Amino acid sequence: MGEKLFMQGNEALAESAIRAGCKFYCGYPITPSSEIAEYYAKRMPEENGVFIQAETEVAAFNMIAGATATGNRAMTATSGPGFSLGVEAMSFMAAAGLPAVIVDVMRPGPADGDILAAQGDYFQVVKGGGHGDYNTIVLAPFSVQEMADLTPQAFELAEKYRNPVVIVSDGMLAKMMESVELPEKIEQKKNFDWTLTGAKGRKHNVITTCATGPEQWEQFNLELQKKFNTIAANEQRWEAYQIEDADFIIVAFGSVARIALSTIKKARENGLKVGMIRPITLWPFPKKAFAELKDKDFLVVELNAGQMVEDVKLAVPDKERVFFYGRLGGVTPTPDELFNKIRELYAKNNQ
Amino acid sequence: MKHEVIFSGIGGQGVILAGKLLCTAAAKEGYTVTLAPAYGQEKRGGRTSCQVVISDEIGSPVISEADLILVFDEKSLEDYENKVKKDGYLLINSSMINIEPKRTDIKVVKIPLNDVANEVGNARTANMVALGAVLKYFDLISLEDMKQIMAKEMKSSIVEINQKALQAGYDYVG
Amino acid sequence: MKVIYERPKILTDAYFKYCGGCGHGLVNKIIAEILEEEKLQEKTVIVWPIGCSVYADKYFNVDSICALHGRAPAVATGIKRNLPNDNLVIVYQGDGDLVSEGMSEIIHSAIRGEKFTVIFINNAIYGMTGGQMAPTTLLGQKTTTSPYGRKEEESGAPVNMAELIANIKGCYYSERVAVNSPRNILATKRAIKKAFNYQLEGKGLCFIEVLSQCPTGWGMKPLKTLEHVEKEMLKVYPLGVFKSPEVKNQ
Repeated sequence: MGEKLFMQGNEALAESAIRAGCKFYCGYPITPSSEIAEYYAKRMPEENGVFIQAETEVAAFNMIAGATATGNRAMTATSGPGFSLGVEAMSFMAAAGLPAVIVDVMRPGPADGDILAAQGDYFQVVKGGGHGDYNTIVLAPFSVQEMADLTPQAFELAEKYRNPVVIVSDGMLAKMMESVELPEKIEQKKNFDWTLTGAKGRKHNVITTCATGPEQWEQFNLELQKKFNTIAANEQRWEAYQIEDADFIIVAFGSVARIALSTIKKARENGLKVGMIRPITLWPFPKKAFAELKDKDFLVVELNAGQMVEDVKLAVPDKERVFFYGRLGGVTPTPDELFNKIRELYAKNNQ
Repeated sequence: MKHEVIFSGIGGQGVILAGKLLCTAAAKEGYTVTLAPAYGQEKRGGRTSCQVVISDEIGSPVISEADLILVFDEKSLEDYENKVKKDGYLLINSSMINIEPKRTDIKVVKIPLNDVANEVGNARTANMVALGAVLKYFDLISLEDMKQIMAKEMKSSIVEINQKALQAGYDYVG
Repeated sequence: MKVIYERPKILTDAYFKYCGGCGHGLVNKIIAEILEEEKLQEKTVIVWPIGCSVYADKYFNVDSICALHGRAPAVATGIKRNLPNDNLVIVYQGDGDLVSEGMSEIIHSAIRGEKFTVIFINNAIYGMTGGQMAPTTLLGQKTTTSPYGRKEEESGAPVNMAELIANIKGCYYSERVAVNSPRNILATKRAIKKAFNYQLEGKGLCFIEVLSQCPTGWGMKPLKTLEHVEKEMLKVYPLGVFKSPEVKNQ
């Protein structure tokens, strides 16, 4: 049992990445992610690591591509607008097989918007955003503790599959402070045969995403699809709360799932059988969690105009039983607000 | 057990620091603590507030109704008066707030935070005066424990004056 | 009694949200004075950046657009090239916007000789996002991303934009000024007015770099920041004209 610290989400994530052996960080300051950069700026001299404040997000995303090509762990953190700039590089890294970790601390859009909590990057981060057929694993922590737990796993998954991994949080989770037990410090185990370190005593390695013709490129794409299908089969993660006897199941991720915990408590106290499925991987979407849930209604709650709700509709047996509630602009619903919405839906259903 | 507290004021008043110290003390006592701050984009002069949840278990960081709300300025009073639980506490900074709350089902406490801070000797300690007053309404954390936490968390040159302000706030609501 | 000075009417009633002692307030007011004196309110379009001046569109009764971080020169190119020549397009940017995120955009606007005026506010730090290092941060200066002081081996040396832009053929005029004293403030007003006039005459890119104070970011009281500009910033960023049609062989 380690020591419990009272830490901010961003800082806990940064410290966990350092403990996971990630000693290369580059990024451009953008609220609400800047604490991650600042934390790395302070710690890297102590760890003999590298901190670079990149000139733009385009540069930062390409710097981590270069860093991971050498086999070292690398991370950048940004928010929605910055991730948008980086999506060309996301496509590149997925195709090139570069295991970088990218943190998107979501804020309300579209465009510059505001700096509080939002989940409007779901489409951008989960569906790709960049061009071509590719996917990246997306992890969605919902507490400072989960940020600390999932960050080392992000690096492991990235290396296991040779694919970039995105960690999404939001303007509330990032700035929130909670008690957290940080992971043990480890040294990265490097046993790669594909990295660029100078071809000493071995055949040279090439990393390229430039096709040499349609047949070759179709084959390349089929291999990529195999990679993504394997991930989709093996890495779906979610947490279920009191769903066995539930009539209504809330589907939410990140900070909304936290709010919903209090809603479930209040609902049960009032005789309403409410549960929740909380996706932890947004990609691969945890379809397995929903496939057998007949005779239940779903309320998808998001801080956007309705993004994950589409994937829920695809995953459940009856998409007519999926409802949506969202807030925009950085406004977060209160537990009572969600409770009232559920009560409203219960009343409608029982008419 | 669950205590939900909101602090709200103008950026630069130290609203969030007060919340952080309260949480640090509660976390030390072993409670499950969450602090969720909110701010505007400006470096100074924007709104700031924080929601503090001290509990036995993990739950929502967003508060529907708080047991205690402390407001530094008039806009905060307008924003948060209706979020106080029935029979909950609304602490008002009477140095900056001249309007009266409308509700009659809550306990209103008026404290001239800025004036008390000035008397203590430093206008910037108004947030500690506020924290001292808040501690009076919570059995969770003793004044002494909080003073020790402040000694650890603050720059040594300003610890003493802030501890004085804490005491002054606590004594004011006597 | 005679009114000898009043707040420019071109400014709205919104109060400036800048920190006390910030240079933005001074430069915003200088621009407002010039636009009013020269009766340019109805011909002006201002392109504002992402930074501490992000809300400046609320302070001016002038057509404005708030561009994405760094892209103001590109947006201004689109605007200037689609309006009649007697319109005045002003680009207003800070360190993050112009020197970091938007380095490519400003360089290429100068290369193409775009006919707008760039006012670059250099306070050697990223103010709005909380005080991070800028490419213009001085060596040894402590910021939230250079907590031990900027080191040349790690992050290079501060970059002189007025000189850099002056070296590009499409730049018509480049000057560095400051606002840390009444004399410097008046010189800043003269420089910006000159740049506006060059634009109205149809000349190429005019670049005015204004050294500015940032008490919050530098962790100094406002009076100290004036000293800091004079003693430390002028060493790295000398005031002066680096490109001018009035000087041959530049």
